[in-house]
Amino acid sequence: MMLSRRRLLHYAASASALAATGAIPGYVASAFAGEEKRVIPWKNWSGGQSCTPAMRAAPASEAELADIVTGSAAPVRAVGAGHSFSPLVPTEGTLLSLDRMSGIVSHDAATHRATIRAGTRLGAMAAELAERGLALDNMPDINKQTVAGAIATATHGTGAELGSLSSFVTDLRLMTASGETLACNAETNADIFDAARVAVGALGIVTQVTMQARPLYKLKRRTWIVPVEEMLEAAPELWKKHRNFEFYYVPYSGMAIGITNDETDEAETPEPVNEDDEGLRQLQQLQEWLGWSPATRRWLIQTLMGGMEPEERVDYSHKTLSAERNVRFNEMEYHLPREAGPQALREIIDAIEANNVEVFFPIEFRTTAPDEAWLSPFYRRESCSIAVHRYHEEDYTPYFSLIEPIFRKHDGRPHWGKLNTLKADDFAALYPRWNDFLEVRAGLDLEGKFLNPYLKDVFGVMT
Amino acid sequence: MTMKTKRQRAAGTAIAVAALLALAGCGEAKQEAAPVTLDERQATLYEHACKTCHEDPATGAPRTHDTVAWAPRIAKGEDVLLDNIVNGFNGMPPLGQCIECDADDFISLTMFMAAPASNETGDAQ
Repeated sequence: MMLSRRRLLHYAASASALAATGAIPGYVASAFAGEEKRVIPWKNWSGGQSCTPAMRAAPASEAELADIVTGSAAPVRAVGAGHSFSPLVPTEGTLLSLDRMSGIVSHDAATHRATIRAGTRLGAMAAELAERGLALDNMPDINKQTVAGAIATATHGTGAELGSLSSFVTDLRLMTASGETLACNAETNADIFDAARVAVGALGIVTQVTMQARPLYKLKRRTWIVPVEEMLEAAPELWKKHRNFEFYYVPYSGMAIGITNDETDEAETPEPVNEDDEGLRQLQQLQEWLGWSPATRRWLIQTLMGGMEPEERVDYSHKTLSAERNVRFNEMEYHLPREAGPQALREIIDAIEANNVEVFFPIEFRTTAPDEAWLSPFYRRESCSIAVHRYHEEDYTPYFSLIEPIFRKHDGRPHWGKLNTLKADDFAALYPRWNDFLEVRAGLDLEGKFLNPYLKDVFGVMT
Repeated sequence: MTMKTKRQRAAGTAIAVAALLALAGCGEAKQEAAPVTLDERQATLYEHACKTCHEDPATGAPRTHDTVAWAPRIAKGEDVLLDNIVNGFNGMPPLGQCIECDADDFISLTMFMAAPASNETGDAQ
């Protein structure tokens, strides 16, 4: 068996996932129901969610979008890259793509703010911002999502002093059920702004956002391996000391892979070959071969990982913070009060290994700064995020059912785009401004045009 | 042109491309497979969806206009190809992330990527 050093250093990074669904439409297009045509269902990235909408539409302008929103079958749901694992998107009504409403509209060189169309993919946005000499303060580790989808679900990266993408939004345009477009910011429609910065597409369709960026900058990324208990002990110091800090626990290894990013003026280093996916497949093989013997599996992984030297890479921020993820999975991620994170992860590791749960995806630990969006899981709370993943062809239920009570015990709030079993009352207890959000939503969309059955459950809306 | 006619034409193109690529693989072909041209709408779909992965070597997806890489995939036939596109296959997500594509679009886009480039630089069109 060949398990190279690079592969071991990187396979954990392949573990993360991410969310993104958003409100998005344009150019009324295919309805996929012609007599001779094969009816094609929509499916999300993992394949775990699907639907067969009566209509699909891809508007290219707000005018086209207004026609669709006011004239097409409900529920009207917008999809970005389909990176949400929770059932935010499925609809039997109208499914919207905002792919045709993409690109950067403009930027202000003095304030470093950029106005971006909702359907812009994060990777494309970062590249275009870089051409304009700009970058966001942070990026998630997957960059396929659309801007609107990422904001709708409070998609985040890692950094104790860095907020989610929603926290970077200074202005947004929201099309409501009536087809009217509202300009929202901290001064104008302020309540709607606070509700819409994380709204899972429940208020309407976000068509455009302005985000606070900053001059382009470089980061030095450092990757190293230590025993997991050592990492857990050092975690509070590491998230204070480094701009971006995260780590992965490799199941059944006792070992953790740490990653930090700090600003630098050093010259860029060559882009390494991405071996994350191959490393994950090798971990999967190890599970198949040695899953019957956790002790042997642990010894082998520790032996292979032992003695590895730290690695460094220097590049522009959007290149070191995001990476390709081509091994598909389903994911559960909760955001916990930060101080509770290390202990919660200890309990998760114990639960997995005591029950010999089948899992090979590394467990991810990140941090995020508080923000003010009413439905942000980071609302006024310094948070850490712990994510567990299961290969997309495997049943995630036993694993996630075992872990979710640990997240709940530590007062966790689930990522909006990731799997969880919470109901309206649970969410109401977790979010201080829950009722304010419900009031704004009802005021904008009394008939629930933007709510699919899942969201009606989440918001406790009677059908 | 009706959608049925487009579908038939796409299927015909698929068979022709597969046959020519298979022959080329055997070293018997004297004739190169012909480039495939997308209409304006499908070119937009390509830009928004397919291009993201099929022009990025880091994804491991077969590169656009890499006829050798595409040959065994095209040889599977239209129905299998469409199943793989709809359900996702290996690292490729369901629908190739093209939300508005229909069956004809998927086949046409696949044939475009599997065929040689239409200019000397080999750039995607």
